[in-house]
Parts: sequence; structure tokens; C-alpha cells
Amino acid sequence: MLIVPAVGFGLATAAYIALAAVGFTLQAGVSNIFNFAYGDIMITAAFMAYAVNTIGGGLWELFIVGAVTGAVVSLALNRLIFRRFVRHGVNRFGMLIVTLWTGLIIQNVLLAVFGPRFFSLQVSSGRLFTFFGQHGILLTGVQLISIGIAVAAVLIVAIGLRYTRVGMAMRALATNPNLAQSSGVPARKILDYTWIVSGIFCGLGGVVLALATGAFAQTTGEEFLVIIFAATVLGGVGRPVGAAVASLVLGIVMEVSALFIPPVLKELAAFALLLVVLIIRPGGLFSLAKEGEEIAVV
Amino acid sequence: MSAIDLYATTLLVYFGVDVLAAWGLNLQYGLYGMYNFAFILFQSVGAYTAAVLALGRPTHQFGGQQYFFGASLPFPLPIIAAGLIAGVFGLAIALILRQGMRSDYEAIITFVIAVMALVTVSAVIPLFNGEAGLALVPQPLARTLQVPTAAYAWIYVAFVAIVCLISYVIIRRLTASPLGRAVRAVRENANGAAALGVNATWCRIVVSVLGAAIAGVSGALLVEFIGTWSPGSWSYAETLVIFSAIIVGGVGNNIGVLIGVFVTQIVFAEGSRFLPTSLPPNLVGSLQWIIIGVMTLAFLWFRPQGIVPEKRYCVPAGPADHRPMPAEKTGPAAVTGSPLIPGDGSHD
Repeated sequence: MLIVPAVGFGLATAAYIALAAVGFTLQAGVSNIFNFAYGDIMITAAFMAYAVNTIGGGLWELFIVGAVTGAVVSLALNRLIFRRFVRHGVNRFGMLIVTLWTGLIIQNVLLAVFGPRFFSLQVSSGRLFTFFGQHGILLTGVQLISIGIAVAAVLIVAIGLRYTRVGMAMRALATNPNLAQSSGVPARKILDYTWIVSGIFCGLGGVVLALATGAFAQTTGEEFLVIIFAATVLGGVGRPVGAAVASLVLGIVMEVSALFIPPVLKELAAFALLLVVLIIRPGGLFSLAKEGEEIAVV
Repeated sequence: MSAIDLYATTLLVYFGVDVLAAWGLNLQYGLYGMYNFAFILFQSVGAYTAAVLALGRPTHQFGGQQYFFGASLPFPLPIIAAGLIAGVFGLAIALILRQGMRSDYEAIITFVIAVMALVTVSAVIPLFNGEAGLALVPQPLARTLQVPTAAYAWIYVAFVAIVCLISYVIIRRLTASPLGRAVRAVRENANGAAALGVNATWCRIVVSVLGAAIAGVSGALLVEFIGTWSPGSWSYAETLVIFSAIIVGGVGNNIGVLIGVFVTQIVFAEGSRFLPTSLPPNLVGSLQWIIIGVMTLAFLWFRPQGIVPEKRYCVPAGPADHRPMPAEKTGPAAVTGSPLIPGDGSHD
């Protein structure tokens, strides 16, 4: 039966969905705006990794470069663009236009710098590991490392949010920004931390996505955004562990369904599920995000 | 046909089509406050409908393009059908979105619908020939008119202009009517409008269907002129450009929107002339997108009401009261400040 190996592919797919979705949902929950440039920050990290790869960077260097790029770009976008527009009084829908255009501008800058073609990271995929016998799950070394990073990331965020002071401040900001600020939470600093942490996951997710898909282009991140969004909404906006569980489900469902339906259509199954949930319960199944149009100004 | 004729007519047809689409979106977004990121879908539905109804039965021989249904209806019918079918899609979108939904969720739902439609049409080739798209759509009345291509192109431009004029009159009639006032009332204060007996769902259906039908006609006009339509013509970025045109021109103001379309189109069509010729071609394409993006962000920051802001509509207090109205103030821009936040006279 092919289902067991497909579950293995599903785990590898879930790894990069989870990495990206954990960062996205954390940032969306705490800052209460959706960053539609997220996929483009991911792909920027992948392109930086590509640049380092061409001068001989190995696997670990790629991850480090990706994480740093993600953190720097994410923080810069928040400080220079997003936070300013929120403070300027631009409403929710205006912020959507702002983040979408920011993403498109990033895409086109990358297109101008790197040119219109497909790119791939040259990394040896390591030796093959088999689990559960000969017809069981087959994973390469790189895939195992990716899964490991994703699991570690989810654990760090889950434990950090629960037990550290910064994590508690983030949760306070997500739940009630005004009360948190008047109770002495340094909102601006905590938001910066949130964007940095989310940027690190975003960058790592971009590198893992680039490794997993083989060939990537400037628009790959944006195309991937809907899947990140599906994981975020199914897991509940602002709930990293929920996003991780949803990523696991999505990854396995997508890869297993590809056995039965044309592979191009496997994403449609995920999108249809997302659409139904969005229409019935827009904030997601177990959302922490606040309804209402206001965005907290910090 | 000389190069100048070709250039000018193509530009003018695109301009007319884009103005129609932007007016349609302005009805939904500017007048009512619908955050519809699937808008380009309506134009695409219109284009595919008109193409399939003009191409005739599909030939399943080698090299023939595959598509669904297929008929060769006489001239105005494909365009009218395009408007009707797009209107049905507009009705569906209006019914999917609920009143009082958070604006970004509304945008995301429609965004996902647009992505799903794009993936489906690209992947399922028997529908509309997949990624390659439809081509060789015949130009309407080209055989009966028997005029040179240049003259035909100019006649087509005139036809597009007439359709624009008719649409403008219809939109004006709607916005100036009591129903138009009700739609604006829902945008400004949904609860207040509901308390006065305005049916928000009905308002949303009207603007959505009319906006979608106008977009469908625009797609039909475009495909019958340029002859091709493929998934590359209707990515989500196209909807974003129409939103940009509205934001730059003036949310809720039809003349402003016309100017906004003109400005964005100048960047796309003529912007490359002001760049150094030594740049590689793909860089020019990227720069045009970057310029429109930066322009949109600049307008959101410095002039969110757009070049020509929406007029503040003043309704006289009653038949006995004919005092002159106070000096005209510009209306609240639909991009800053939330239409749903209380504080504009509503109770919380």
C-alpha cells in the first residue's frame, strides 16, 4: 500500500507548513493584523539562502542565513511600514492593502535582482532513513532535520508563551492590548520581539520550503500563503500549537489525497476546508483573535 | 493598420474596460463597503462566457482548443450573457458574505475563492483550455461591417465608450436613488440603517450583482477585442491594481475612479518611457509594479480620500425647509477610520 509512504511525505510537508504557520499565527494573534507579505518574507529568506549557497554555504549556514534574514526583514517591515500605518489611523482593510502591496513590491524587487527563472538550493539530501519496514516511511536526512526544527520551534513557542515573562506579555497583548499597556507591559518592545520571533520562523520556513519544493521562484511564497492561512485558521488565530496540529493534518491530508485525485487539485481540498471554516466561523475553530474592526495602536 | 492606430485603440479599449471594472468594484467597495478580493473573477467569468459563446462548437481535432459548451451567437448576445452570468456569480458572493463580518476576513474569504477558481481553471483543461487559455475569439461583426482593420478598431473604441456611458448613467441612477442612499447608510452605520428599516442584505445583493455584471461586460468587451483570455489575465494582483486605482482616484467617486484608472494605466503603458532604455525588460515590468505599489501606499498615507474625494450627500430636511445647506464637506474616506466603529452618531 502506498498510504504509509504518503504519510511520510505528509510529515515532511507538515514540517514547513508548521514552521511558517506558527510564526504567522503568533504575529497575527499578538499584533492583530494579518501580514500578507509573510509569504514574500519567506521567499526573501530563501533567496538569501540561495545567495549564500552559491558561494558554498552548507545546510546549517542556510538555516542561519534564512532565520536572520526573516527576523531582520520582518522587524524592519513592522518598524518602517506596518506600525506607522496603524498609528496613522489606517483601518483594517487599509492594512490589508498595505501588506499585500508590500509583499508585491518585495516580489518585484527580488524579480529585478535575481531575474525571472526558477532557483534551487544545492544541498546533499543526506542518507535515506526508513521507518516501519521496507514499505514504510522513507525520509531523507534533510527532511528529518526539517521535521526536527519544526518540532523544536513549536515546543519553544508553546513553552515560551506559557512560562516566560515575554511570552506572558505577548499573551496579555493578544488578549487585551489596552489593559496590558496600562498594566505596564512595554507593548512596543513586546511587539518588536513578536515580529522578530515570527520572522525567524518565517525565514526557517522559507529555507525548508525551498529545500522541499526543489525549485522555487519569486511567487512561490505568495502561492504558499493560502496554505499557511488554512493552518492558522483551522488551528485558531493566535494559537501556535493549534497551528502545528492543523499543519500536521493538512500536510498528511494533502499528500494522501494526492494518491486519489490529480496532484494539482490536492491544494483545492485544503482550500475548500478553509473556506467552509472561514464562512461558518471566520476567526477559526478556536480563535484567540478579537472580533471587531479596531486595531490596537502601540 | 498603422502602429499608432494599433497602439491608440488598444490603449483606449483597455482604458474603457478598466474604467468599467473599477466602477463595478467602486459600487461594491466604495458605495457599500464590500471587501471583495475575488472581483477579477467577475471580469474573467464574463470574458470566458463571451469567448465560449462566440467561438462556436469546439473542434476536437488535433490542435483544436478544448472548452466547455461552445456556441456562435450573434453580436450583442455573448456580451449580454457575460453580464448575466457574472451577475449570478455576484449574487453568490453577496450571499456567502455575512453582514458585520470583519473586513479582513471578508477579503480573505473572497481571496481564497479567487485562488480556488484560478487553480481549478488552470488544472481542468476541458473547462477553458487550462493554463494555455482560449485564443482566436472572433471579433464581433467584423465580417458584416467589411471595413479596414484600423477603422474597425476605432469603431470598437466608440462602442466601448458607449457602453461606458450607459454604465455610468445606470450607476448614477442607482447612487442618486433612495436605494443608493440606503446603501451608503449601511456603509456608514450598519446598525443605524437597520434600525431605520434598511435591508442590508438586499443592498449588498444589488451592488454586488450590478458591480459583477458591469465587470462581466468589461471582460467580454476585452476578450472580443484582443481575442485571448487565460489564467494569466486574472491573478489576484489584478484585483489589487483595481483597488489601487480606486484608492488613488477617490473611494466612492466615479469621476475620481476614472482618473485613478488613468493614472495607474499611464504607469503601466507609458511608465517605461521615462526609464533609462538600458534596463533589461524584466526590470521595467518589475519597476512598474513597484511604482504602483509605492503610489498606493503614498496615497494611503498622505491623501486617503484620493484625488477627487467622495461628495458629501446632503438631503434637505423636509419640504417646508429650503434653507441652503452648509458648505460642502468631503465625506469620510473609506480607507481611514472604520465605518463600523461607533462615534459617528451611533449608539454603542
